[in-house]
Amino acid sequence: MKNNPVFLLAILLSMATLWSCSDKQDFDQFDDLQLTPTAEASLVYVASTEDFINQSAPGVYYTEDFNFDAFAEAFVSERVLDGLVTYEVENTTSKELEITVEFLDEAGNVLDTETFLIDPAPTGVVRREIAYGGASGRSIEILRNTSGIRVSGRNLGDATSVSNLPDPKIILRSSAQIRIELV
Amino acid sequence: MRIFHCILVAVLWVGGGASAQNKALLYDFTEVPQALMLNPGMQTGYQWYAGLPVLSGISLAAGTSGITVNDLFADDGLDFTTKVRDRAIYGMSVRDEVSSTYQVALFSGGFRGKNRREDFYSFGAYHEGDLINYWPKDLAILGYEGNANQLGRRFNLGHLKLRGEFLNVFHFGVNRKMGDKLHLGARAKIYSGILDFNSTGNRGYFVTTTGQNNLIANTLVADMAVRSSGFEAIREVLDDDTVDDGSGLRKLFTRRGFFGGDLGLGADLGFSYQLNEQTLVTGSILDLGFIYHSTDVRNFRLEGSATTEGVEVILPDALADPDADFWQDLVDEIEALVPFEEDSRSYITFRPTRLYASLRYNFGEQEQDLEDCNCLYTVSGGQWRHQYANSVGGQLYMVNRPRGPQVSLTAFYLHRFGNIVAFKGTYTVDKFSFSNIGLGMSLQAGPVNFYLMADNLLAYSNVADAHYASFQFGLNILSWGGYQD
Repeated sequence: MKNNPVFLLAILLSMATLWSCSDKQDFDQFDDLQLTPTAEASLVYVASTEDFINQSAPGVYYTEDFNFDAFAEAFVSERVLDGLVTYEVENTTSKELEITVEFLDEAGNVLDTETFLIDPAPTGVVRREIAYGGASGRSIEILRNTSGIRVSGRNLGDATSVSNLPDPKIILRSSAQIRIELV
Repeated sequence: MRIFHCILVAVLWVGGGASAQNKALLYDFTEVPQALMLNPGMQTGYQWYAGLPVLSGISLAAGTSGITVNDLFADDGLDFTTKVRDRAIYGMSVRDEVSSTYQVALFSGGFRGKNRREDFYSFGAYHEGDLINYWPKDLAILGYEGNANQLGRRFNLGHLKLRGEFLNVFHFGVNRKMGDKLHLGARAKIYSGILDFNSTGNRGYFVTTTGQNNLIANTLVADMAVRSSGFEAIREVLDDDTVDDGSGLRKLFTRRGFFGGDLGLGADLGFSYQLNEQTLVTGSILDLGFIYHSTDVRNFRLEGSATTEGVEVILPDALADPDADFWQDLVDEIEALVPFEEDSRSYITFRPTRLYASLRYNFGEQEQDLEDCNCLYTVSGGQWRHQYANSVGGQLYMVNRPRGPQVSLTAFYLHRFGNIVAFKGTYTVDKFSFSNIGLGMSLQAGPVNFYLMADNLLAYSNVADAHYASFQFGLNILSWGGYQD
């Protein structure tokens, strides 16, 4: 049987199996993997009727501290790379208004402030984008430490006038995009 | 990160081949008694056989249908994140899978009936592990890109489809020759489940749209579930500082694998029919059965729908409750609309049923060459166990999978060198490869039968780039000639 071609074939098969080869692999490349998805969601929506504003004397008609733990969640605060907060303010009342948004830390300290001075209607929607992190943005630590949002409204006009537009309101809309380092 | 790294590499290396491996080389390879496990109605000429414990049958399948180790880890100087994005995240489809399967025979044997010589009985037990994970494309894109700037895009939660099970199978089968042309066979199986997890019937989506009030609306519609059994006991062993992890897990797996875990029943059926003197048609259906998971069950469910536009304050209505926590109210509302629930209700899983069929044409009668070697005679009877030296034919394989049946087609050529050596070569086409050439050998040295089979040999030139590879080998003590076909 030693001269049998079967054995030759078996030996060749064994050699092929034992000496099978592979292109050079570099598994350390995995350390270079960057998974950085960007999540997007709305933050706060605050709408106030002109009737409500007129119930207070000119000045601050509303202020509220919202608990807002989305940024403070460990998964987010430890991994957030940068962010973009978008605001839209729409005023259909007859008054000049000032809207202030403040980011607060756990102790209630103000980390960041954004103020909007809005002319009486008719006026366009004011849109503003604030970047955090990166080379030109505000400190990313602001987002990392934010656990509350304070929204204040101040009436810079009178407390009697009424807009002739239907259902007059001051509306604050906001959303955030945050880029997170998963790996 | 290192653990994630290791898991990814291991999955890509071992992954593939499908749960329930296509053993095209072993099917109807009548020289090897383990072929009975693929067709209990196979033509048998054995007197008896005994498999060497643990070594009588070992098989492993490896590969992936969408990506290879080489695609990601080749030392080619390309940016790794770019390779992951182009070749995995966007390069794979939801039908691509990463899966693996292995089988180890714990013991096996067979014998011919004393009173009914046309009956051959086989029995044994084997350990089996199956994993399959279809590529969750939308979830992968969501994890890679996020939902920003994806207005209106629905991320399909149904893309999550995975299943895994580890079990022992105890079996007893009967193979009977019914006249001159027909062999029928049946095998009863008892499944003893060790571990199981599955998440296959998921539905729903996550979508980001323009909000009605606020700028963005996030909507989740989910009907998702993960069912598992056997994992809580593992956690308890690992958390128990008084028990060594290794010995504790060994005891646990042994207990669950020998009727102390989930139990199930199943059957294999098969036949071989001689169309004429040289042509044979065969077929079998394997693992028609189920497992009832009733021990150590833990299920998770996420069901409901919710849309959020963030914290919403409409004045003056919002002042009605001066103590209102708008953020917590929002979280509570979402959790009520899409509750995440746990339970321990028993459940049933059906085994991945497989179907084989083949058509074989035998030709080239073996010639006795006494001058060359006397060893070409069988020990008993001095006759050829197989009249023909060559067989050629085709095989069909189907397996029931979470995304529907999967089909493989195989062409084969088998050549016998007397009663000692037989080779079988195959060419298989399936979703993993169009260039799968396999080679198997059975060697009968006295009473010892050894077989070795390997698939996708062309891929051995660059193993890391293989989509599929499998091998099987085993060692038996085998006596032929008790009943001639």
